[in-house]
Amino acid sequence: METPKVTRRTFLKVSAGTTAAIAAAPSLVKAMENDLGGKDFDPVSGAERQAIPVNCHVCNIQDGAIAYVENGRVVKLEGNPEHVSTRGRLCAKGNAGMWYSYDPDRILYPLKRVGARGEGKWQRISWDEALTEVAAKLDAALKEDPNTILVKKGRDRSGGAWGRFMNTLGSATVLNHTSVCESSKKIGMEPTWGPDIETPDFANTKYVLNFGSNILEAAYFHNPLSQRITEGRVDNHMKIVTFDVRVSNTAGFSDEWIPVFPGTDGAVALAMGHVILRDNLQDSDFIETWTNVTVDALKAHYKQYTPEWAEKISGVPAGTIERIAREFATTKPATLFTYRGPCKHLYGSYNERSCMMLPIMTGNVEKQGGYCLPRGMGWPQPNPEPPGPKHPSYLSTPPDYPLAAHKVSHLVPFWIADGKQKVNVYFTYQDNPVYTNPGARVVWGKLFRDEKLIPYYVAMSSHMGEETALADLILPDCPYLERWEPESMPNSLWPWLGIRQPVHKSLGESRENRVMLRDIIHKLDPDGARGMKKFWDFKDGEDYMRHHFDNVPGLKEAGGLDFLKKHGVWPIYGKLDPKSGKVTDKTGREIKAEYGLYMKELSATDMAGAAVDGKGVISKNGKAIGVRRGGKNVVGFPTGNRLINIRVDQWAEYGFNPMPTFKRIPWHESMKEDEMILSTFKLNVHKQSRTAAVKWLAEIAHSNPAWMNPATAKKLGVKTGDLVRIETAVGHLVTKAYVTEGIHPKVISIPTAFGHWEYGRLATLKLKEKKGDWSHGADDPDLNNVWWDDRGVHPNDIIPVVADPIGGSQGWFDTVAKVTKAGPNDKYGDSQGDWDKHYAAYKETMRYAYTGDLHRKMHPEMAAWAGPESVKPKAGGGH
Amino acid sequence: MLNAILAIDGPQRRPVAEEPHASPDEQRQECLARAASYRLLGGVFAEEPGRAFLQALRNEETLAALAEAGVRFDADFTATDPDTLLDRLSCEYTDLFVVSGGFPPVESVRLTGRYQQEPHHLVKQTYRRLGFEVVKGRFEVFPDQLGVELLFVAALLERCAAALESGDAQQFRRLDKEIKRFWTQHLGKWVRGYCRLVERATEHSFYREMARYLNAFAEEEIAAMGLRIDDADQGRMVVPKQEVSVAVNPDEPVCNGCTPGRPDGAPARASVHPLQDLR
Repeated sequence: METPKVTRRTFLKVSAGTTAAIAAAPSLVKAMENDLGGKDFDPVSGAERQAIPVNCHVCNIQDGAIAYVENGRVVKLEGNPEHVSTRGRLCAKGNAGMWYSYDPDRILYPLKRVGARGEGKWQRISWDEALTEVAAKLDAALKEDPNTILVKKGRDRSGGAWGRFMNTLGSATVLNHTSVCESSKKIGMEPTWGPDIETPDFANTKYVLNFGSNILEAAYFHNPLSQRITEGRVDNHMKIVTFDVRVSNTAGFSDEWIPVFPGTDGAVALAMGHVILRDNLQDSDFIETWTNVTVDALKAHYKQYTPEWAEKISGVPAGTIERIAREFATTKPATLFTYRGPCKHLYGSYNERSCMMLPIMTGNVEKQGGYCLPRGMGWPQPNPEPPGPKHPSYLSTPPDYPLAAHKVSHLVPFWIADGKQKVNVYFTYQDNPVYTNPGARVVWGKLFRDEKLIPYYVAMSSHMGEETALADLILPDCPYLERWEPESMPNSLWPWLGIRQPVHKSLGESRENRVMLRDIIHKLDPDGARGMKKFWDFKDGEDYMRHHFDNVPGLKEAGGLDFLKKHGVWPIYGKLDPKSGKVTDKTGREIKAEYGLYMKELSATDMAGAAVDGKGVISKNGKAIGVRRGGKNVVGFPTGNRLINIRVDQWAEYGFNPMPTFKRIPWHESMKEDEMILSTFKLNVHKQSRTAAVKWLAEIAHSNPAWMNPATAKKLGVKTGDLVRIETAVGHLVTKAYVTEGIHPKVISIPTAFGHWEYGRLATLKLKEKKGDWSHGADDPDLNNVWWDDRGVHPNDIIPVVADPIGGSQGWFDTVAKVTKAGPNDKYGDSQGDWDKHYAAYKETMRYAYTGDLHRKMHPEMAAWAGPESVKPKAGGGH
Repeated sequence: MLNAILAIDGPQRRPVAEEPHASPDEQRQECLARAASYRLLGGVFAEEPGRAFLQALRNEETLAALAEAGVRFDADFTATDPDTLLDRLSCEYTDLFVVSGGFPPVESVRLTGRYQQEPHHLVKQTYRRLGFEVVKGRFEVFPDQLGVELLFVAALLERCAAALESGDAQQFRRLDKEIKRFWTQHLGKWVRGYCRLVERATEHSFYREMARYLNAFAEEEIAAMGLRIDDADQGRMVVPKQEVSVAVNPDEPVCNGCTPGRPDGAPARASVHPLQDLR
């Protein structure tokens, strides 16, 4: 019998000729990685791994995740298929989250400073010693003034524990990171329609206007919105137009990328509104019924914002503005999204309002495929609750920024230096201003090093961030996989409640934050005589969570916290369909979202004792609870008058334009030919400051050359890889250039999250320095492969403070820079800033506050305003 | 206090099956002597030294005994007042073994780069199987912490001595095998290289000398037990780049931020990275 002769040629022929047979052959093996998730197995023993649902907290999108635990160790993280928003998917950051827990640079014990601040000399002390020391400092501060106790929080997801702590102490000095994030977006939106964010129904829309957000990489809410925008594009054939200074991945995914001069998105949006109103493409019925202005008034107001006017400012051709405006207004449904692009400017609040006016005037609000209100869920706080502080804090509610309800925390170092408010004890929690704020180490580093300004500084942190390295005492916090925390995030059209729960015992002596706050209070008030201890009567993190969740209607019947421990999220809307990737009901149909929330009718119980005024506003107990329209009593929008306020009267009280408007940044108008705008951006594998220590992410992106247009590069004689010197009013930086067509010629842009000087051996690459070689494991397949030498640069030292006088936001994208080819004495990574120059920038930006001398000059249209003296002081600090 | 780190269950006693080669009393004495050394070294690395421990170490007799073994402290240990020394060593311990950027004396970290990995669970299983558990001293410690691993061997050796005293040779042999197995699977894999690192990194003669002593002690133990174990930690200062084997070309530019490779496509010249384990 002849032995078959098989060569590559013959088996290729055989396989080509037997396709049908192959298709019909039984297939008994399937790849487990193609399953939807929810289960995982040890590849050697085959034993099923313990699956513990959590909410991810590498960044703040709050994806539903499952931690697979084997032998008490997380071996894998993946998406929770029961989570309605993220539907079983996690991003790269979420997949890498266990690095935080097992990082050899993690802080596991209380550490007390023994050298000079920032010198890096520490002594390990016991919790009892640490708590005793903190309690003594707090006790002394309380005797002087509770407001001298300050906390600055970043990613605080404690669900109210920090508010409880500060209220227990009676301090109003609570700061956050929102002014370096998106506060002017919030302040643009809140007085207009209530909530601080929108939920665009990308999956069902036909047209998207994207102003300066990078949904596919970084913006709120990256993972869930990426899924929906892709569905909209693929399943619904929607069009997307992105206005951005740079070709982000979202801009690249768009049908059109329209480069816009930084900070001028608002002018483009106003001009589009002009076209829509001029051509009568608005939804007059919606405007007349649900807003506080008439169509005629709106048309009259928008007449000034012509496309030609916007073209001169933004560089976007008038014809493009005309075309896009008409497309947007005539394509139904359509939606819009912004994130930091428009709002991170001197007058970012105006920009945000100008953008959101487009879906409002076209009536796309709360419709399928439209511009929807956010959906979230709340939970009760444990009882009893401490009363609020007795006196307002200057730093928390600065009188020069009365409309900035999300604070102006990035100006705090200057206010402390100016002696506006004394600080005795300073806490940081999940906040690294020494790295993330404008001025970075030059401003915040100087503040924290000054023991006269900050006499005692406690960092609650799991890692040695740039801020933690300057502390007097470090209390070891737990990374997110070891914490109990309540969650709800409006990251899709389906509201949900979720939890983070410890997937194993916390390592070393780290304690979750709410427990350490309790322990501090118990140390301060051991027998309850000071009236503090009663607010902190819980055994542990889980016990605290039971107070939150065991009495939520609906969840209580489902099992309360026990349900959440098992599923991670509530409610479970349906099952994830493996083919469509969507959540479906029992019949296989996709679960539909609820729309038209503002038209929900009030019940008879709601209306009992309510009064309706001449404008249809329904009030009860002195508060507007709804609005009567078309004979129906409906909830309306969650604003003071239950309408969309196109005119925000409160702004006019302070001399700001109450109608949608645009203000050009004065120093952008006077830019010289060789000057550019320095902007920053995030990549999809990093967040602001806390991912550089995660190997899997750092390996993907670890350096951050400055993006530059070829036309600009040619003028400067620069090519990719060359060193450039970027000089701003407050300092200079030397970095590498990356020459690309994908950026506006007048912009130079640097990704953030790089160039750390603290945050552990991987972020700093100290493991490659002489003394660092002994610092990590010999056989670790990840740390062995740290094959790069470039940790990037950090631009924040040379970015001056700018504060939106309305919303308080930092003007991240307002910095004018002179870029030149680096000189012979310039070295890669050189970064130099100057406190005095930063201080001068602070003084300059204060001139735009409503109390400042430039405010009136910037608002000639408000000539009738009677000046800052005319403003009646508001109770409780002016908010 | 250091004795409290390991809580020891009562050993199971079995009848003697055969006599060991050396006399039981000699063997018992040797076990106890070895156990004492393990306890001493375990105490040094388990946590910051306490006042009583330091006082005992600075006793003339102890110093003389250590000097005989080649352990010679500088004046920073012998001629510093007790309070200052206590404080100084506490800071040095934190700097070397606790704070970020240091090198925790934890097997998981040394061999896998992260806390609470496979060695952590394996030693925990071993402790449990032999009736031990790790309890808190001044601070919570990992089961694969150097001090704990050394104290565990000390406890096994004390059981060995007890077995010999009661004439239970089978139990002695069983425990002796456990000690050898523990050295092969754990201590032997990392303790020698790690000691060389401590010796180089520390700025205090106490840890320098104790690391040297532990290194020599480990070599002696391994030889005496007739074991052949490669030290995986190694503690090398420099690994030539040609020894590096990675999935991607390290000279390939990434994000346009790294130094590009040569345009002619020629292999990059060999360079030396100050990284101990780029393999």
